Amino acid sequence: MTAVPAPTFWRSPAALVAIGAGAGLLSGLLGVGGGLLMVPGLVLLVGLAQHRAHATSLAAIIPIAVVGALVFGRADSVDGLAAAVLAVGSLLGVQVGARAMGRLSGERLALVFGGFVIVVALAMLLL
Amino acid sequence: MTALDLLALGAIGLGAGFAAGLLGVGGGIVMVPALVLVLGFDQHVAQGTSLVVIIPAALAGSVTHYRNGRVSVRDAALLAAGGIGGALVGSISALSVDDTVLRRLFGAFLLVVAAQMVLGRGRRRSEASNPPIVEA
Repeated sequence: MTAVPAPTFWRSPAALVAIGAGAGLLSGLLGVGGGLLMVPGLVLLVGLAQHRAHATSLAAIIPIAVVGALVFGRADSVDGLAAAVLAVGSLLGVQVGARAMGRLSGERLALVFGGFVIVVALAMLLL
Repeated sequence: MTALDLLALGAIGLGAGFAAGLLGVGGGIVMVPALVLVLGFDQHVAQGTSLVVIIPAALAGSVTHYRNGRVSVRDAALLAAGGIGGALVGSISALSVDDTVLRRLFGAFLLVVAAQMVLGRGRRRSEASNPPIVEA
C-alpha cells in the first residue's frame, strides 16, 4: 500500500499513543500481538509505508507483550514449558513462511487460511 | 506433559510461525485456538502462553528490521507508551472474565479477522501490483 500524505493530527504523539493503547488493550485482552490494529493504523492514518509500518508495529509489540505476559504470569496463567517449545517451533516456522512468501499466491492463501480461521472461530464460539 | 503433547506443541509453533512469516498475521491467532482446541488448554493459560511466545518472535523480527533501517523509533516508542497502559488494562480485564466467556470473545474476534482476510482480498491485489521492496 502506498503511503498517503497524512494530516498532521495523525503524526502527533497523542494519536500514536492512542493507537498503541488500542493495540495494547486488544493484545492484553486476547493474547495476540496487536499488529492487526497497529499496522492498518500506521498505514491508513499515520501514512507510513507498509513495510515500515510492519517493522515499527513489531517493535512496539515487544513491550506490549512483556506487560501482558507478566500480568498473566502473576496469575499463574502461563505454561512455561509449552511457551519454550512453541517459541522454538515458531522461530523455525517464520523462516520457512517468509521464504515461501515470494513463491505462493498471497491472495489464494488468504482465502484458504481465512476460510479455515472461520471454522476455528465457530468452534471457539460453539464449544 | 506427554511426548505427544510436546510434538503437538512443536507443530503448532511451526504452523504459527509459518502463518506469521507468510501472511504477516500474528502467531497468536493460530496459537491460542490450537492450544485450546487441540491440547485442551484453558483459554486464559493459552492466551498468557501466547503472549510469552510473541516476545522472542517480535524481538527477532525487530532486530532484523532495525538493521535494515525500517523501524521508526519515535513512532514505536509512542505506540509502546500507549500500548503498555492498554496491555495492563486488557490483561487485567481478561483475567477477571470467566474462561468460557473469554473463549467466546476470542471466537468473535477471530470471526472478524477471518472475514476481513477473505473480503479484503481485492485490496491486497492492488498492493501486489506495486513492486515489492527488496530486502537488503
